[in-house]
Amino acid sequence: MDGAASAAAARAPVPAKPVRRRLPPRLAAALLLVGLALLPGLVGLLPGMPDPMEQDLLALNMPPDAAHPLGTDHLGRDVLARLAAGTWLTLPTGIGGTLLAAGLGAGIGMLALTLGGVVAGAAYAAFDLLRVLPGTLLALLTAVVLGNGVWPVTLALGLAYAPLFAEVVRTAHAREMASDYVAAARVFGLGRLAVLWRHVLPNLLGPLITLSAIVLPRCIVTESVLSFLGLGVSPERPSWGRMIADASGFVEDAPHAVLAPMLALSALTLGLSLLGEMARRRADPLRREGRP
Amino acid sequence: MKGALVIGGALLRAAGLVAAIAIVVFLLLRTVPGDVVDVMAAQGDLNAAQQAALRAELGLDGGLLHQFGHWAAALSSGQLGQSLRFGRPVAEMVATALPVTLGFAAMAFALGLVLAMALAIGAVLLPRSVLPGLVEAINLWSIAMPTFVAGMGAILVFSLWLGWLPVIGNLPVPVVILGLDIAGQLAKPLLEELREAMAAPHVRTARAKGLHPVRIALAHVLPAALPVLLALSSVALAGLIGGTMTMEALFGLPGLGSLVLNAVHGRDLPVVQAVVLVLAVGVVAINAGADVLRRLADSRLTS
Repeated sequence: MDGAASAAAARAPVPAKPVRRRLPPRLAAALLLVGLALLPGLVGLLPGMPDPMEQDLLALNMPPDAAHPLGTDHLGRDVLARLAAGTWLTLPTGIGGTLLAAGLGAGIGMLALTLGGVVAGAAYAAFDLLRVLPGTLLALLTAVVLGNGVWPVTLALGLAYAPLFAEVVRTAHAREMASDYVAAARVFGLGRLAVLWRHVLPNLLGPLITLSAIVLPRCIVTESVLSFLGLGVSPERPSWGRMIADASGFVEDAPHAVLAPMLALSALTLGLSLLGEMARRRADPLRREGRP
Repeated sequence: MKGALVIGGALLRAAGLVAAIAIVVFLLLRTVPGDVVDVMAAQGDLNAAQQAALRAELGLDGGLLHQFGHWAAALSSGQLGQSLRFGRPVAEMVATALPVTLGFAAMAFALGLVLAMALAIGAVLLPRSVLPGLVEAINLWSIAMPTFVAGMGAILVFSLWLGWLPVIGNLPVPVVILGLDIAGQLAKPLLEELREAMAAPHVRTARAKGLHPVRIALAHVLPAALPVLLALSSVALAGLIGGTMTMEALFGLPGLGSLVLNAVHGRDLPVVQAVVLVLAVGVVAINAGADVLRRLADSRLTS
């Protein structure tokens, strides 16, 4: 009797363990970092923020207080307002650069591989050429040729990171074209273009999105480096790199003016990189992490 | 024979890339409105006849092909033109700046490589120690701290809070910052590679024979990771060029980075052209060297 009861109990549906809906700690940390880094940008959207360009020559290098939560810089400009304005310059430029790199690298790579032959050879030779010029040098050239501005910087970022996307396209293309199901599709009379469109392209989307997640923080860092070196969007418009460069001459009087953009940049880069790394591991659990 | 073929192929490829870069840089800078003579005419008094004579002398008359021929001929005899702002030969300016950058980059890279190898080998030998955590930490550091931010932080800490002045013009601080960055890029992938190599059957045999773990790590595991280390190193070295530029600007070192940045801000195009070319040749040489070494180290790649 007792045995039958326990057998029935065993057969009864086991109450499902409550699914733990807690975020994995690494993901939570990454999201927290990104959130913290973007917080000044969100605060900057609130009404009543001071003008990031407005100088107050009676309040130079003021430490943080009620009127200026992050203090003022060497020209008496509000650091929080400048940090916020910089967020809305750095983030869109980084995203724009990543999208341009993906479009140029994947688009031209895919097109060249579709056409094949000499075109593919020429396109990939051009990507090799771009790879040889480090991003900073490319930006230097675009700054000299096109001047300062949003577009030269975005173009430099796009050109610098396009070869990575082109390489992913080439690898995936070679892998898919050699696979059995593509051979089968070809045997069934599917044309080259149809194979590319229906079989290769869908398999490319995952790797391309993963690579974008990895390239975005690099674009943001590169943009900041360029601004820091005076090769960025504009010497007048506040950006994080520019703020660091401006405030670097006054570290003794106003360490807060240099620390604020440094912390924002570090937090954003680290958070986005962790997210990118997680995306990569999720997309391709077999591949070892950290490989270029 | 095999070695000669590998080296010859790599050299040929490198030469092609350098020629292509020279052409691209030349064409790009030709699109900037105004030439040397315009700038000089704006600065001083040159009449039309003098301008024409100067253009002829500098090879700026005639078509694009003529100009490129003139420039390439001068280039092949080691002349890089004249600086617009300083009137000095560019080759001379590059020659004074190059050793600073080379020495700086070499020290930073050596530090990074030694640190990464020590950490990764230590971590694979002592998986329960703090070393694997240290590898992870240094990797995160290099991601979160772009070198110019780390440099700025160092200036803050050393000059402001510790009072160790002056940091500007000081060499060890930027070398350590760049070295740490490189170690962070190399150590983690190297550790993954070493871990994988540790699991190989021949390593298990070596262990079963009772070989000393250090000997196994150095003689049996490290060679398997060499191709990956080479590939990573060449990427890190190419990235180092951007790093040295920011460090030179931040710490006031008179290297190629400072030279080219000042030239960009002063629109000194011949200097920009020359430095970009020199740096690009450097990257091509690094890549070609790494490629040759990798092919020679991994016999599967040559066949």
